[in-house]
Amino acid sequence: MEGSEELREALVTLRRENDLLRVETTHANLLLKALDAVLCVDGGDDPFAGVFSALMPVFDCSHAIVLIEPKNETEGLECVASSAPSAVGSLWAQDKLLEKALAGRIITTVADFDVAAGPGVPGLDFTGREPALYLPLGVRGRRGLMLLLRSDGKPGFDRAHVALAKKFSLLASHAFAAKRANQTEMERHRLKHLTEQLEASQQALRHRANHDQLTDLPNRAYIEELVEEAIASKLEGEELALAFIDLDNFKRVNDIHGHAAGDALLREVSKRMRCTIRHSDILGRISGDEFVIVLNHIGRHSDISALVKRICNRLREPFHIEGTEIHPSASIGVAIHPVHGGDYDTLRRHADMAMYHAKIVSKGSIAFFNRQLEKKATEKHILEQELRNALDMHAFHCALQQKVDIRTGAIVGFEALARRVDRHGIMHAPMTFLPLANELGLLNDITDLVICDLERELPRLDARFGAGVRYSVNITPNQAANMQFMQRLVEQLRNTGRPESFMLELTEESLAVTGPFQSHVLPLLRDAGIGLSIDDFGTGYSSLATIADLTVDELKIDRSLISSIHNRPRSQSILRAIESMGTALGISVVAEGIETMEENLYLMAQTGLRIGQGYLFHKPQLLTALLQETPATPRPGHDRNNREPA
Amino acid sequence: MTTLQSFAVTGDTTAQAIANLAHAVGEAPTGAHFVCVFYDAEHEDDAIFDFLRARFERAAILGGTSCNGVMSQNGLAGSRSIGLLVLDDPLGNYGTAATQLHGDAADCAERTLHAALENADCAGELPELIWVYQTPGQEEAVIEGLRRVVGDRCPIIGGSSADNDVGGQWRQMGPDGVIHDGLVVGVLFSSGGIGFAFQGGYEPSGESGIVTRIGYDPVGDSGVVTQSCGRQIISIDGEPAAEVYNRWIGGALEDKLESGGNILANTTMHPVGIDVGKIEGITSYLLIHPDKILADGALSTFASIEEGTRLYSMKGERTRLISRAGKVAAAAAAMLPGGESSLAGGLVVYCGGCMLAVGEEMPRVARAVTENFQGKPFLGCFTFGEQGAILGKNAHGNLMISAVAFGE
Repeated sequence: MEGSEELREALVTLRRENDLLRVETTHANLLLKALDAVLCVDGGDDPFAGVFSALMPVFDCSHAIVLIEPKNETEGLECVASSAPSAVGSLWAQDKLLEKALAGRIITTVADFDVAAGPGVPGLDFTGREPALYLPLGVRGRRGLMLLLRSDGKPGFDRAHVALAKKFSLLASHAFAAKRANQTEMERHRLKHLTEQLEASQQALRHRANHDQLTDLPNRAYIEELVEEAIASKLEGEELALAFIDLDNFKRVNDIHGHAAGDALLREVSKRMRCTIRHSDILGRISGDEFVIVLNHIGRHSDISALVKRICNRLREPFHIEGTEIHPSASIGVAIHPVHGGDYDTLRRHADMAMYHAKIVSKGSIAFFNRQLEKKATEKHILEQELRNALDMHAFHCALQQKVDIRTGAIVGFEALARRVDRHGIMHAPMTFLPLANELGLLNDITDLVICDLERELPRLDARFGAGVRYSVNITPNQAANMQFMQRLVEQLRNTGRPESFMLELTEESLAVTGPFQSHVLPLLRDAGIGLSIDDFGTGYSSLATIADLTVDELKIDRSLISSIHNRPRSQSILRAIESMGTALGISVVAEGIETMEENLYLMAQTGLRIGQGYLFHKPQLLTALLQETPATPRPGHDRNNREPA
Repeated sequence: MTTLQSFAVTGDTTAQAIANLAHAVGEAPTGAHFVCVFYDAEHEDDAIFDFLRARFERAAILGGTSCNGVMSQNGLAGSRSIGLLVLDDPLGNYGTAATQLHGDAADCAERTLHAALENADCAGELPELIWVYQTPGQEEAVIEGLRRVVGDRCPIIGGSSADNDVGGQWRQMGPDGVIHDGLVVGVLFSSGGIGFAFQGGYEPSGESGIVTRIGYDPVGDSGVVTQSCGRQIISIDGEPAAEVYNRWIGGALEDKLESGGNILANTTMHPVGIDVGKIEGITSYLLIHPDKILADGALSTFASIEEGTRLYSMKGERTRLISRAGKVAAAAAAMLPGGESSLAGGLVVYCGGCMLAVGEEMPRVARAVTENFQGKPFLGCFTFGEQGAILGKNAHGNLMISAVAFGE
């Protein structure tokens, strides 16, 4: 899907088709029932009794009346059947709507319109404002109509009722005509044909309603029905397994080869799986690239493993789609009834969890559900709620860690970091929330809060550390690729009135694809005077081309290179190379993660680096705590065990 | 059997355009039952109406001015064009009625609908579709009045008449001629069935806020003033609405925040949306087009909003506005009782704002509709507000596209 608009459109279409199918199925059922009532009663019985009982619940009406033209020249219409028996035999004045219905028109009324005036028959309590539906009906060889009435005050009939009335009117008129002609052979044949057509169309409708149109496999609703049936038929001790299959990287197939190829792949995958499963197993497609297989007769658990593994292996074999070879794979999760769930919904959910686990561990693998997975999923769910609440409550705050001149101890800048403070006042480290926040797409909001915090306290920070201090803000690869976010961020920093006091720290990964960043964001940064720093340098691509293209202001050497630098000659050589490059290009080089006095002494003695950052100097502090603290000189040699996760 | 013919002509003068129209119509059946007419606001209404009445004397007439002309299966007709859709359906019933929106607009609409039903010889009957063409400004009240009679049991489709420069020169044309500040209602009882669709081509950009204060700017000389619903958003999340909106759209209105003024051109690709319901958890939006920044940072819009509503910032792309017209036409045709193969032709209402944004690529919009209507006759008008049924509810929105397909 190109965007949510396309998704919405597809869903609207799907819903419209489903609604249409449901309506058509209901209509077909009802018509069969009503037609059956007309045709199957014995000669002396009133066929309308069956027709009324079939129609009235569906049309949700309180009265049903059949009027026909009288045989003689009497004015008005004769009531020949009614849900209120006392009305039978009454004469009705022929008004315009009745006349139109007699002429073959289906009519339903608008609100507050006076319907046909009843003859004042006991049992027919008319106010005259009842919503009405008129449908023509040929009865006893004469023109007639059926009038359906709802109670006064109820909503009127809609277009679906009109459509149904049209079908019924046609079929019932034929049926009555045939019956009246004592069902000649030809008419009986015609009716039989009509009935067979209806039954066939009902079957086709049922199939369409229960099967996915692309693959012709049972759809989500039908799979649920089949699994519930299978579960209900199980005796004590009998098991059933549900395998949840998700194609890996299916979106890429659509993106690279187009949606037609994606659809073709789904069809081929379905065929291949259908050939791989046993006769007693059930295969269904529950959405996009998600399939379910129900393994119905299980001898031993090892049978499940063997079968699922076979499916997994078969799906790894290449597919030839529209002249292209596609190498798919599928991650599969398995849950077993009754041990992992007593109903379809629980089994599917648990198999889904196992599939998700399999995908994380290694795409194309298989995982069985266990309670540990459920525990993890629950914990994740709770954390998700906590994070969303924390965002609502503005419980993410800015913490700052100093960047210092390692030779003088002067503070030259700060790195802004996000911290979550829960309602008990406990501060949570970034590793406990950043990965999930990233997955949930909450990082932009968290970054906003951190910058707002920082912006608010800028005057006090200036008063304390001077206006020349620069503040670095971390940007994730996803954020760097999100042009809208980046443009808004630049605007936010501009709005502080001093954007040149800020620097964005991006990892090498963010800069691996520099195109859009370079064309859309970098000019904005340059124009605003916002600095650009490459974080964790030396661990990723360390691309000189990127540095040349982006003209960065700062390189932050990754802590892994700084750690024990005094004892690691190879790290020392790399450091010297980076330092030389920085000097040659006029890029400031910062040593990150300085934790020991030995590391610091080495950097001071053996390199020309000036700026460093690490727990040796300063541990990140919440803004409020930092501003409350009495000014003090940096503290080299500070507790090295309090190392914060990156 | 329903047959449709569509004609679109241009002419420097109205007389010339009508002469061209008379030539194009030629031997078209004069027993037409329903005629839709849309034309550039530069043309003279009376001459057009006189021609229609003389040529299609028994037809129910409905239409009015359309921004910079019309489009048809032959392409974009362009400025100074006049378009006709002529529908012949001996087994159907069609009626129109018109009124000026004096007094309570909802009452006017209710009365006009009953009059249209009378004119169609279908008093009291639920039509298959109600087609409206009206002056911009009171669309919600008009729909409310129509809904009193038919609820959401029947789709209400149509548009708000437009001129070429939002100068207020829009007019409407009904069975008795042209009207200003009016409403024309058509009721359609077709024999071949009708399909319809109402969609927008935008999606949320991420930002949203709650409307915390609304102002009301009465349109015309009537209207119910309420504190909680209107076309001026004074504040969003407690801040001046224009400032918040300006932030949402990346500061594009910076230079107009203080001076105020018309912002239509700046906001066509960035309307606001309101949540009108969900399908499978995916929200559908009704679009609202901010048109002016008013004093004190209030935002004027082309549709009413209630206090407490969450507004979503939406974004559009030119390519989507082009392709969307075709998709809406296809959706309407697919809804016909006999499917697309029974299509006889159709009507399309395309937002004038979208048209201005699409600009010189508008011929592609006409082509997209033509392709999806399988080359069958259609007439498209360009409006300053669109009405249609979204998720089963009749509503007024902006920057939307409506289509009606007629079955044979």
